[in-house]
Amino acid sequence: MSRKKQPEPVDVVIVGAGAGGATAAKVLSEAGLKVVGLERGPWLKPEHASGDELKFLNRNFIWQDPKVKPRTYRPNDKVEAEITNFSATPQVVGGGTTHWGGMVPRMAESDFKLRSLHGDVPGASLVDWPISYDELEPYYTRVEWEFGTSGLAGANKWEAWRSRGYPTKPSPLSQIGRTFATAMSKLGHGTFPMPQGMVTEPYRGRQPFSENGFWQQYPDPGSGKSSTLISFIPDAVATGRYDLRSDSYVSEILVGKDGRATGVRYQDEDGDEFVQHAKAVIVCGGGIETPRLLLMSKSGLFPDGLGNGSGMVGKNATFHQYSFSVGLFDREVSDPLYGWAGHYMSLCSFDFYETDESRGHILGSLIFPSMIGHPVNWSFPGRPTWGQAAKDADREFFNHSMKIGVLLHDLPVEDNRVDLDPNVKDAWGLPVARITHTPHSNDFAQERWQVAKNGEILEAAGAKKVIPVNMERITGNTSHELGTARMGNDPATSVVDRWCRSHEVPNLYVFDASFFPTATGINPALTIMANAWRCSDRILQVDRHGWSEN
Amino acid sequence: MGQAEWATVPISTRDVDGPVFFTEHEWNTIEAASARIIPTDHHPGAREAKVVRFIDRMLAGTQFIFPAADGNGFLRMEGRDEAAWRERIKQRREFYREGVVELDRLAKERADVEFLGLSEEDQDAVLETLSGATKPNAFSLEHSEAGLGGAPAGNQPVNEDFLEFFPLLVLNTRQGFYGDPVYGGNENRVGWGVIGFDGPPSLASTMDGSYTTRKYMIEAAEWPYDQHPEVLRYRRP
Repeated sequence: MSRKKQPEPVDVVIVGAGAGGATAAKVLSEAGLKVVGLERGPWLKPEHASGDELKFLNRNFIWQDPKVKPRTYRPNDKVEAEITNFSATPQVVGGGTTHWGGMVPRMAESDFKLRSLHGDVPGASLVDWPISYDELEPYYTRVEWEFGTSGLAGANKWEAWRSRGYPTKPSPLSQIGRTFATAMSKLGHGTFPMPQGMVTEPYRGRQPFSENGFWQQYPDPGSGKSSTLISFIPDAVATGRYDLRSDSYVSEILVGKDGRATGVRYQDEDGDEFVQHAKAVIVCGGGIETPRLLLMSKSGLFPDGLGNGSGMVGKNATFHQYSFSVGLFDREVSDPLYGWAGHYMSLCSFDFYETDESRGHILGSLIFPSMIGHPVNWSFPGRPTWGQAAKDADREFFNHSMKIGVLLHDLPVEDNRVDLDPNVKDAWGLPVARITHTPHSNDFAQERWQVAKNGEILEAAGAKKVIPVNMERITGNTSHELGTARMGNDPATSVVDRWCRSHEVPNLYVFDASFFPTATGINPALTIMANAWRCSDRILQVDRHGWSEN
Repeated sequence: MGQAEWATVPISTRDVDGPVFFTEHEWNTIEAASARIIPTDHHPGAREAKVVRFIDRMLAGTQFIFPAADGNGFLRMEGRDEAAWRERIKQRREFYREGVVELDRLAKERADVEFLGLSEEDQDAVLETLSGATKPNAFSLEHSEAGLGGAPAGNQPVNEDFLEFFPLLVLNTRQGFYGDPVYGGNENRVGWGVIGFDGPPSLASTMDGSYTTRKYMIEAAEWPYDQHPEVLRYRRP
């Protein structure tokens, strides 16, 4: 059918070009391997970006269009799943690093050993990570410097040791940051500049962010925001050994009679089908699309999906639901907050990160203040929707409102999972991902407590009205998709080993956030990149020497 | 052709005066309804912002869905994305066509005239009937109305595909009032002026660095911020 040539075999094919896939592409191609990248979405460039709220937030210019790439959600097995835009995440070259707010804190040391710290928590599948902070630290540092970050080493008293500070100074303070710092100090708490995936000084040919205010959920037309689109992908392409094919949709990972992966099948934008053979396959489609692809890759040897002998592919899904309290301020007594100025958030605190059982729950997460939204999407619960009252509320509070949010450090639960929807297909005719998820009781306790605490902070900041926005269910509103191809030492209870290599298929790897054994209470991209670098080094040092010549 | 290769067509939502999709009657009716959703007071409202033009251009097809990044022209959508938007716009056209008929029907029930012939108070009453709820009361810091109306603030927008006519009209009115003027509404950026958003003079200005919000930040402050003189200058509760 195809008039185009089938592609030449290569060393490694990487599915996805987001945080994980682009990092692997850079490390492997710079070391001399021949790499093909297949990215489902388009290769948009910085010149496709601008401060257009409707385009990027309301009309899904870079998020998946739910009519083309739907997903389904149900709380449990007893209910029929419904189509939703669960976990809208850019499916583009650069992935989630294009639209993100660029929060790049490191994991805490405790995050690596939650099972040891908390034991068997009923209803959860809590485990220790098979690796330690010490193993990851050199890679955290390497990514912070290669990728481009800003922050202030030592300002977070909860942070573990670090071998080096940040390459650029902290991002400038916003009015919302000012308000948060003042209130937290009044309550005896600490704050520090948010570690950011941004450069704040000229750095490696890049210029600081223009501070046009279009930051969270907007790709950057300049070079201030760090994304793999403008850093690791150009690095990999510059080697001449990374062939990145955008608009290329992988539908199956192929295996040979010996149970090793042989490559992938994909369609290009015209619908023409190809097979890309490679000595190794690295899957980096994100914590929803990766298990979906593994489950779609059924064969005689792997009837339940590739690398799924344990039945664990797709299970233990966590999503970092974002909740917050809104504060409304009286313009007669408080200075304007101008939430739209700057880059969404500017400070954070780890004072509620470590477990304190007197709070009635275990675990915690970072908290951070932010703007509520640009004019179209700015809102709060109870806002009048139309008429004079609506206009008055907009006028009164648009510049006198903010929120303080929390990323839920959710517990892994085996039944919370991603699998294939038996009824719904995407525009390619392939079964879509179905999410089955109900939060653990500790998730609700943690979330309620922290949202209430954030409300207290807003009151200390002078807010005249505080409105909690609590989780009812998980919607995937952070684009963080974690845990669905769990890393562990035991092949019976995990999907990949400590090097993110499939326990069953020795030349198949998962380098996106699917590997996270537990969710952590921080944004995952820095850890995804550091871990992808660590595991790519392992491929270079060990695994590649065992690959057969095709 | 992939999204990155979509061509830019040199068209503007302001190339013609008046409707592209609506009939004159539909145009006038939606304009009047939008003017009750964001009324004119000592500041401009939906009528002055030309919200009806925003809605008309949205319904005109898929040619005005995605502006070019710099605002000069619109992207010619292709492939599956274009097909999805064509389907979406077709559904919205039906909502609006039938919505205007319904507004007139309710108006006739009420006062035996079309919606346009009603007083503002009666137009509000028709919108109340259409929405199935009373017109929102004034919001105040003192009393609690949590849970009453209003999309919850979130970091992900409301999905318009699942909205009925009235909430769709309300949301589209808001989009036309507060969205970038390139889409046909927010004429002379009056929507931004009402709420004090010092937004960009053009989409291009957000790309070349000429538009910045730095003057609204506290760039000289250094950590620990709470004790810094630049922070202590502000009022504290």
